[in-house]
Parts: sequence; C-alpha cells; structure tokens
Amino acid sequence: MLKERLAQLVSEACDGEITAAEALGATVPLSYLGVTSLAQMRLIDALEREYDVEIDLAEDVSFLDSVDGLAAWVSAAR
Amino acid sequence: MITFTGARRGTAPLTWGQRAIWDAIQRTAPDDHYFNFGRILEVPRGARPASIAHVSRGVGLLVERHEALRTLIGPGPVQDLRDRGELPLRIAADAEPAAVLAELSATAFDYAGEWPMRVAFVTRGDEVTHVVLAFCHLASDGLGAEEVVRDLRLLLLRGGLSGGPPPQPFDLAGWQASPAGRRQAVSAAAFWEREHLRMPPTMFHVPSGAAEHPPVWRATLSSPAADLSAQRLAVRHGTSTSTVLLTAVGALVAEVTGHESVTVLPIVSNRFRASTRTSVTTLSQEGLFVLEAGKARFTDLLVESGPAVLRAYRSAYHDPADRERVVAEASHERGTPIHPYCCFNDMRFVDQAVYRDEELIRRALPETSLSWPLSQDKLNCRFCVHLGGSAQISLTADTRWLSRADIERFLLGLERMLVEAALR
Repeated sequence: MLKERLAQLVSEACDGEITAAEALGATVPLSYLGVTSLAQMRLIDALEREYDVEIDLAEDVSFLDSVDGLAAWVSAAR
Repeated sequence: MITFTGARRGTAPLTWGQRAIWDAIQRTAPDDHYFNFGRILEVPRGARPASIAHVSRGVGLLVERHEALRTLIGPGPVQDLRDRGELPLRIAADAEPAAVLAELSATAFDYAGEWPMRVAFVTRGDEVTHVVLAFCHLASDGLGAEEVVRDLRLLLLRGGLSGGPPPQPFDLAGWQASPAGRRQAVSAAAFWEREHLRMPPTMFHVPSGAAEHPPVWRATLSSPAADLSAQRLAVRHGTSTSTVLLTAVGALVAEVTGHESVTVLPIVSNRFRASTRTSVTTLSQEGLFVLEAGKARFTDLLVESGPAVLRAYRSAYHDPADRERVVAEASHERGTPIHPYCCFNDMRFVDQAVYRDEELIRRALPETSLSWPLSQDKLNCRFCVHLGGSAQISLTADTRWLSRADIERFLLGLERMLVEAALR
C-alpha cells in the first residue's frame, strides 16, 4: 500500500507527467522520467505533510529518485 | 472606470514575498518601474464580439475575486485591503497591444494610492479585441499573473467562475506568522546563516575600470543553439533546462572570477505547496544556490547540482526579516558586507527538454545575435541573468563591476559552454 500511495504522490507532484504505474515500474531514476527539481520540491512538501516527517536537504536525498527508495526512507523516518 | 465591490477589507502584515519585492523596490527607486510587467489577453473567439461593458464586468469580477488586485500598501508597510473602488480604464482604439502595454508599464506605481493593476482595452469599432494588464510587482509575480489571465479568459467566456478563490495574501500573512510558518522560516534562516559565514563576500569584487553612464546595462543573447544544447544536456543528465542553465551560469562565474565556491540567488517561484500554487500574489523570492565549483568541469558539476538546487529552492521560502538579520550578523562577524550580488531569474513558463540532434545544434549556431535593449541608473544587484521565451538569455549588469565587453563575453561564453558540453 505504501508504495502505491508514494507512486501516486510522485505522479501528482509532476502533474501527471508520469503515471503512478510508470513511477512504480521505473527502471531508471525518476528524474530521468521527468520528475524535475520543481516536482521534487512538491513531492518533498507532500511527503512532509502526509507522513509528518522532515526531509533534511543537507543529507543525501537520492531516495527521491525511486519509489523503493522513498518507501524505505519513509518507513525508517516514521 | 470599472467599479468593484469585494467581500472584505482590513490591514495585515506584508507576506514574505511582498516584503522581499518591497525591499527591492526601495533599493531601486526611482528606477522602480523596472519591476512592472504585464500580460496581454486576446479576447477569446468564443467571447466575441465583446463590448466594453462586458469586458469591464469581467475585470471587475476579477478584482473582486483576487484580493491582491485591490490591496494598496499602507504605512508600516502593511497590506491595505480595500473592499470597494474604481479602477481607471484606458481605451486604446486601433492600437498595437504591445505598445499599449509598454506605455502602461513605463512609470512606477504609486504604491499607497494607486490600484496595483493598470488596465487598457484595445478596441476595433465597438469591439474589445485585447485586454492589456500592467502589474505592480507587489500584487503579483509572473505565475500569479498567469492565473489572473486564465481567470479573466474564463470570466469573458462564461460570465463567472466555479469554486472559491485560491488562498489570498491576507491569509498567507497569517500562516507565515503561525508556528508552522515560523518553523519553515527558522529552518530557511539557518541555511542562509550557515552559508553566509563561509561563502565569498561577493562574486564580482574587482572594479571593471570601464563604468558607463548610466552604469546599468543589459545585453540580450538570442541563441537557439544554447537553448537546444541546454535541452540535450537536461535529458542526458536527467534534469531540467533551468538547472542546466543555473549550473552553467555558476560554473562560468567561477571561471571568470576565480571563486571556487560560487553563490547565485535564483528567483524561486515558492509555489511548491498545494495551497499556494494558484495564489495571485508575489510568492517568488530569492533562494541561495551554492555551487562548489572548484576546478571541476561544467558537466561534472551538472551531476552534483541537483541537491544544491533543492536546497536553494527550499531556502527561498524565508522571512526577509530573518535573512536581513543573519546577513547583517555574518557581515559584522566577518568584518565585510556579505552579498552575492549575482542573481538568476528563469521567467519561462515551460521547461520542456528534448534530446536534440547534434546537427540541429550546429546548424543553429549562425542564428545567434546580441542586442543592448536597456540601460539605467540604479539596480539592486551587480549581475542578473534572465531567461525569457524563445531562446533568450539576458545579462543585466552594473558596468562598474562588469564592463560592457565583459557582459558580452559572458553571454557568448555561456553559449560556448553549453554547446561544447552538448556536443561532447
């Protein structure tokens, strides 16, 4: 469930430029599929709101580049 | 005159975005018409023929909906929201819309006494063909103006709008002062403070010895080759053309100044939150982009700039009062004023990247041209890059620090950097 929801948030953050299914099935980093830095910022905001977490941009944020990475990060942070 | 009646009135503190542009205006006066900008709406086919009365009614509803358009600046300064008034209307028969806009934008707004949107209708016979809007930057930024135009178009077509208005600057000021707003502000201020304690005091510190009168000059490079190259690089590196161009500017500033750590202030939309995406107000503010350029090549920097861009974007949503304080403290501690005086404004609304053919880039090179569209006395910066539509990159600089030859060299060097990297 978590991954499906995260894929949905990714899709919303880039205005549907990529679908949730595409985000879930991605074999390359999401940024190569069109998740731009603007979309990443929207995604960060959505994650912080939905999961009540805080993302420190001074740390490594490469987890933003895949749904698996996002799921692992959110699970660890909660 | 267009009469309007809104739902509420009152005063509120300036929002962070309003405060930031207010400060910039104060530092640029009397040349503050520099910040005016506008939009032209061609009356949509479905709404034609449109009478002056019909279009006036649409503009009136627009001003009622978006409080920013009926907010003056009161003493303090504060937002002074009014609930009724009359908006002056100019009728320009058989005129060229762009010329009307230039005229409407040519003089600074009277911030305390004039509605922050000037309106003209271009007419042919009895029919309004274009609506020309000139904005005071305190009322809106470019993306907010896009919302205004979208709403006006719908008002002309349908006579009304469904759904309530987006969050208003009046409410935004309340959120920014709330505990959640303060948390965001404190975190952003900590980043500004940390960087100001270690960054070079400024980017351009060597006098050019070639100051002009007036000192501020703008050169605009029109370069399809640079645009195509930025697209090719963006796709290759999984990023946007905006990040490619910001990084290229940073890398070239490092090269021409010798600074190993470069700081650029990109103008950031601050519309990342669902609640602020469609607000009509000025949300855009400067962020702090720190590029550890060292001796690295531009394409290597492109790999690393992604996280630095995210940090810059987040730092942009800050309270200018906090920033002023931490910058003053850092300057005091280091015994010298700290300010990059180096900014970057991507004013394009689309950032679509396609993996462009090498041959296409080579063929575009001879189309490059350079012009000098502006000169003026005052500017609150030394070095401002603007990206506009149709492959235009402009550099507005203070010739006391960069000569006109330096300005030209920078723009051509930027093109060369992009093209060479794209073709590598």
